[in-house]
Amino acid sequence: MAEKVDKHVLKNGMVLLGEVMEGVESAAFGFLVPAGAAALPEGCCGAAGVIADWIFRGAGERSSRELGDALDGLGLHRSSSVGSSNITLGSALEAGNLGEALGLYGDVLLRASLKDEEFEPARQLAIDGVRALDDDPRQKVGVRLREEFYPRPLGRSTHGRVEELESLTAERAREIIGENFNFGETIFSVAGKYDFDAVCGQMEGLFEGERRGASEPAALGARGDRYTHIENEGAQVHIGLMTETVRPMDEDYYEARVAVQVLSGGMSARLFTEVREKRGLCYAIGARYHGLKAAAGITCYAGTTPDKAQETLDVVTGEFRRLGEGISEEEIQRAKVGLKSSLILHSESTSSRAGGIAGDYYMLGRVRSLEEIKERIEGTSVDSVTGFLRRRPFGEFTVVTIGPRQVKVG
Amino acid sequence: MEFKKATLENGLVVAGEVNRSAKSAAVGFFVRAGSRDESAEINGVSHFLEHMLFKGTDRLSAQAVNEAFDRRGAQFNAFTSEENTVFYAAVLPEYLVEVTELWGALMRPALRDEDFAIEKNVIKEEIAMYKDLPSFDVMERCRGLYFGGHPCGNSVLGSEESIDGLTAGQMRDYFGRRYAPNNMVLACAGDFEWEQIVRVAEERCGKWRAWDAGREVGQVGGSGKKERREKGNLVREHVCLMSPGVAAQDERRYAASLLASIVGDEVGSRYFWGLVDKAMAESATMQFGAMDGTGAFVSYISCSSENVARVMDIVGRIFEDLASRGVREEELRKAKNKVVSALVIKNELPMGRLVDLGFNWVYLGRYRTVEEDISAVRAVTVEDIGSVIEQFDLRGFTEYILGPSRGS
Repeated sequence: MAEKVDKHVLKNGMVLLGEVMEGVESAAFGFLVPAGAAALPEGCCGAAGVIADWIFRGAGERSSRELGDALDGLGLHRSSSVGSSNITLGSALEAGNLGEALGLYGDVLLRASLKDEEFEPARQLAIDGVRALDDDPRQKVGVRLREEFYPRPLGRSTHGRVEELESLTAERAREIIGENFNFGETIFSVAGKYDFDAVCGQMEGLFEGERRGASEPAALGARGDRYTHIENEGAQVHIGLMTETVRPMDEDYYEARVAVQVLSGGMSARLFTEVREKRGLCYAIGARYHGLKAAAGITCYAGTTPDKAQETLDVVTGEFRRLGEGISEEEIQRAKVGLKSSLILHSESTSSRAGGIAGDYYMLGRVRSLEEIKERIEGTSVDSVTGFLRRRPFGEFTVVTIGPRQVKVG
Repeated sequence: MEFKKATLENGLVVAGEVNRSAKSAAVGFFVRAGSRDESAEINGVSHFLEHMLFKGTDRLSAQAVNEAFDRRGAQFNAFTSEENTVFYAAVLPEYLVEVTELWGALMRPALRDEDFAIEKNVIKEEIAMYKDLPSFDVMERCRGLYFGGHPCGNSVLGSEESIDGLTAGQMRDYFGRRYAPNNMVLACAGDFEWEQIVRVAEERCGKWRAWDAGREVGQVGGSGKKERREKGNLVREHVCLMSPGVAAQDERRYAASLLASIVGDEVGSRYFWGLVDKAMAESATMQFGAMDGTGAFVSYISCSSENVARVMDIVGRIFEDLASRGVREEELRKAKNKVVSALVIKNELPMGRLVDLGFNWVYLGRYRTVEEDISAVRAVTVEDIGSVIEQFDLRGFTEYILGPSRGS
């Protein structure tokens, strides 16, 4: 099962990656375009989302409707998402349609019509999306948490701010596309069933003549507030908390991942056991690693009724801190098996592989093999994880709550 | 791909699809037990029982169960719907036998009073969590209104009141009625040894006694009522529409799925071009939900209060147009491509395959290959969809809206 990663770099710097998967009839591809929320100028929070919609409203010779019909005609399962650093645009599809699909995506990225009359609905949808977050407190707590936790502008809301979206103009959005759709820094990946030579040939024709260039990484500012409460007369208090840890390229990365797994890797992990199984405080409780290139954290969510909110927060932060006091051999073994198993289970999905190899390249400048990741996980131990936790304890938290009651943050 | 099937003497069906090129395997127990099998007094018991199965057996504590799954790196969980409770795990092939043994043991749980008392709090937290999610809340309320008192409209979670009143004795009694071996299917998909799974099934499940769990089925629902409820903390209008459709056993289910995709797929559908593309609504989708003996088309739309009247007007016109002119050849072709590629992608994962394998046995009592499903989708004609529209007029919908206060 030793997988091989195909790689080719276009003359303008655009990186093409691929991983062939046996026994599948589908392919998945994605473009990481360096125009994520944190990469955009001040005052334009939310522009990335508007742009990710607008560019699909007509491109090349096709009107918005014709383009949509052409994409649907290929049976594409499209995905567009805005992250801190990149806009990710891609699809999963039957392998035979890959060439045609790439041609259409070439149009979208290079020759979007960007008509004024199509800008308004794209912007309006983004504004409505921000408003709709108010009716989804669990999601909103995560958005706000990243805003407060990360040094500015890394955690900037990928949904945007209503005031900034309202003042965004088509002209300004065109400028942002011109400045940030930097194909020399774009990463393209494909996984599943495909012919890499054919893909490279087609991508060369589409993108090689396009702009190379380098964008400056954003200068980092201060972090936000340690505690933020948003009043909402809902049924639960939605608690989000984050604490700082190492980044994916740092020495102790695998130790951090194993530590989070001990905390929240399964139903026998500490948070689930202490918060839900023993005390019945929550239904939804979990923590996971969240890493960016310039900073990273462990993020945790718990939803509970108001009377239990304080106890829930106290038990959760207590478990984060208790991790440094000792971990058993058995816990470490379960954590390692869990991480390795999840790695292999995810490697069966073309979308998840296409995303995985692009993400690796973006973070590390290379693609890790599954074998390497397994070995690094295997290389951790009780001593290495507890040693890491002594050097980098989970002690300071950024907390956000949404609900009818505030909590006291120690 | 190789299909395997065995039936134990007590009626438990074991269905397997072996795929040697998979890197993992998935196993699941599919139990015909859901909220439609409950009375009002015990509403929520199927789902609560699903939680209680994780609490272990006479020999296994809850912690031991969780550790046993986690030691094998299993991605395991369960879900409960109106009609089924499904327990599943995806694992590396070398662990499938042990994980199947574990699930087999858990299907005869201890249902201890002390676990029941603690888990009641967790269930009530889950109910509270969904109350804060209007997109879910409105669907559940609409189901209740649509089925107008028929058990198919029962809430899966139950209410805080029904859960408060539920006793462990009532749960044991319900378990005794629904978890009969001949009311369950054990399914496996991916890379595994068939004979080993059959042996585990015989050892673990062979002694369970068969009895008739039963269920009354038939075409039900469609009150056609309309209701709006206000909640002070909401900012958007959350609209759910439901109208009758074909049953899970009906061959026309493929036509019904394609119709739902044409009307309300996330992109490229009539809802998309009529509502989302024009920024009238930020979300507008329709799904076809096939059930035992009945079925329904379910739409969910979220928009501003200013737009909701116009949105309903546009939806009305879409339904009118479908009733008078049906669907076009070109939109059917696109919908087929999307539905087929979704089938291909989903079934490349053992976990995705498991779900179809299990439910095909639960509803149809037979095996269907992915290729059969794809051919059935490809074979649907504009006329087939026309006949579904004619029999199940989308205009006769039941409507529930959750939205902000309109006073002052």
